[in-house]
Amino acid sequence: MDAVERANTERQKRWVKDQKVGEGTYAVVYRGREFATGRKVAIKKIKVGQFKDGLDMSAIREVKYLRELHHQNVIELLDVFSSKTNLNLVLEFLDSDLEKIIKDRTLVFLPADIKAWMAMTFRGLEFCHRNFVLHRDLKPNNLLIASDGQLKIADFGLARDFTDPGHKMTCQVITRWYRPPELLFGSRYYSTAVDIWSVGCIFAELMLRTPYLPGETDMDQLKTIFRALGTPTEEDWPGHTKLPDYVPVGQFPRTPLRDLFTAATTDTLNLLSKCLIYEPRKRIGAKEALHHAYFFALPYPSHPSKLPKLSNNTSSRPLDEVDGNVDMNASGPGVKASAPNRLKRKLSSPGDELGGRPLARRLDFTQKRS
Amino acid sequence: MAAENSTKATSAEAGSSSLGKKKPLYEASTQYKNWRYSPERLEDVRTQLNAAAVAVIRNTFEADEPGSSSGVAFLDAGEEQLLVKLYISKIPQLCGHFRFPEEVEATAISYLKRFYLKNTVMDWHPKNVMLTALFLATKTTNNPISLEAYTSNIPKTSPSDVLDLEFLVAQSLGFEFAVWHAHRALWGIWLDLQSLPDLSADLRPQDVYEIALKHVRASRFTDAELIYTPSQIALACLSIASPLICQRWADSKSAVSPSSQPLSEVLEDTLGAIKFMVMQAGQPPDVESVREVDRRLKLCKNPEKVVGSKAYLARIAEDEHRAEQKRNKKANDVRRALAEGDPFGSELTDKEKAERLAELDEDDD
Ligand SMILES: Nc1ncnc2c1ncn2[C@@H]1O[C@H](COP(=O)(O)OP(=O)(O)OP(=O)(O)O)[C@@H](O)[C@H]1O
Repeated sequence: MDAVERANTERQKRWVKDQKVGEGTYAVVYRGREFATGRKVAIKKIKVGQFKDGLDMSAIREVKYLRELHHQNVIELLDVFSSKTNLNLVLEFLDSDLEKIIKDRTLVFLPADIKAWMAMTFRGLEFCHRNFVLHRDLKPNNLLIASDGQLKIADFGLARDFTDPGHKMTCQVITRWYRPPELLFGSRYYSTAVDIWSVGCIFAELMLRTPYLPGETDMDQLKTIFRALGTPTEEDWPGHTKLPDYVPVGQFPRTPLRDLFTAATTDTLNLLSKCLIYEPRKRIGAKEALHHAYFFALPYPSHPSKLPKLSNNTSSRPLDEVDGNVDMNASGPGVKASAPNRLKRKLSSPGDELGGRPLARRLDFTQKRS
Repeated sequence: MAAENSTKATSAEAGSSSLGKKKPLYEASTQYKNWRYSPERLEDVRTQLNAAAVAVIRNTFEADEPGSSSGVAFLDAGEEQLLVKLYISKIPQLCGHFRFPEEVEATAISYLKRFYLKNTVMDWHPKNVMLTALFLATKTTNNPISLEAYTSNIPKTSPSDVLDLEFLVAQSLGFEFAVWHAHRALWGIWLDLQSLPDLSADLRPQDVYEIALKHVRASRFTDAELIYTPSQIALACLSIASPLICQRWADSKSAVSPSSQPLSEVLEDTLGAIKFMVMQAGQPPDVESVREVDRRLKLCKNPEKVVGSKAYLARIAEDEHRAEQKRNKKANDVRRALAEGDPFGSELTDKEKAERLAELDEDDD
């Protein structure tokens, strides 16, 4: 056996696969453990043989970035090994994700809880951005939650680095509801601000307990954004009408965030509005956000161990109390907040091929109602 | 590991504006941790790898036909290196043909070098490894092209030449795909220079940058990247192009964070060593001498890796036999467990049982 093969076998022996826990577009995920310590891990098995262009781009991106990034709020890649024609990523095991927590109607979020999740998200994101990595697919189900309550940014399958400021990039990234207007208008020269917009949408969703800007098509996404935040003027966002895919989608007045987020503090709404500024260059940065008054004002962020967790029993605090942040009956523009949103968040089509594949799996947003 | 280099690395690294103000990721990178060697260590690694390979292949020959290895002139570590270097020189040509960005070219070259720190050319001929490393680099740097478009533009190459090796290459790299490059560091230094007040534009003509970049490219033929940091290599190349400008840059850094010794002195030995290396070894090898090596390689390559050979077939049969045994054992275990009634801790319906079996089949580790 060659040295390389031997090293791989050694690695493989360190981990034990226990039970299948989930399946994504290009991978099957198992619960497993470290043989020597019993430490619980997730083993993500990516089938390699099936792609005519070899190793899949999503897998390559995920491995490339997770190999380098080590931060408390970024999912830890513990090891990589192969078994026959499969690539196995050994990841820290994370019990749940923010989407599941948001959807668990038995859980009540306090403003301090939301602040804690936001702080962890911004910390993880600041680290990525500081290291010139754009995530490009932030959404609640990519923010995983560890058993100790720590939030970890996961799924780097669409990430890329941005050391070259003038570099043209694809605008076909980020799941639609979390996609910023510059991408919807086809901008090819974008930056960290795209991730910040997504975080803004997640922030709002934590307060609303339902997606904030759930557009049904790309065109409708713009409309949904503008209905909520007002159609941008040339002054708000200089030059946006010159973007490649610019189309006028109608004039909507700007309504104050306060109308929808009735009970949120001024600091909260100030930070939220800065994440959702139209002009990408004026949008707040992750580092700046961490220094925002919101994070220093009372209430202080909940300790991670005190955050709401998925409960299998339904006897927790009742939902009616909500969190006092939102008036669920407000006639907020464009926000269908009254019922849990039923549009599927993740719509993907397996079997797409490389080239278009990793994007196509995000691009296929055809309506599927569950 | 080049422990001695690391302090110097820090001072040089901190200077380059492209690396940002906080602790640069570079020092936490897999490259910094796993792919830097002292010159002595590098030599050791290659010598040992070569010796181990020769021993294995000799055994294979002997197993096939006793006495058959005695007349074989195996390659030594230096000869392996020479051959790898020849294939390094093919990468810029191909990249020019495909108009791949410099990032792809530099990354592919790093991959090729790293691959042969874990493998021997007697097992894997560098031609296809080079093609695979380049194809992989297009993907890892986010410049993917279809395999079909790639191989159809390269004479006598089919998709399987690349596909067969891609996993092995990725594995040999330890799946560590991110590479930090000297040409990027050079760009960072160049940007720094533009903001030096006492260095007017006529003192830093564009052609200094171009010349420095040419030397950075030459450095890719050498072991520099396996020993020094990208910034050190960039500075050394700048220093070849213009010692004055290099000095100014170093002075400006010393002024920002004064230490007992000026940066240029701290760096002197390192830069000297890199410059020597680039001037000495920074070009493709002499084709005639490589041809000789390649001819001998045909006689001493590992028969287990030659598709269709007796040893290769024996090995495949052996692998398959082992896998078969494993599968049988697994299936038997499951069947027995199912027969005993409670295999997974709870009662299963027949449908579920069938699913479990199917799953086990597919789970092939
Ligand atoms: N680190 C982890 N710890 C525990 N479970 C995990 C972990 N990662 C993934 N899972 C589980 O495996 C499932 C599949 O994950 P995966 O990341 O492959 O796909 P996905 O993100 O859900 O979908 P897609 O591939 O379409 O983006 C998840 O829904 C989750 O239940």
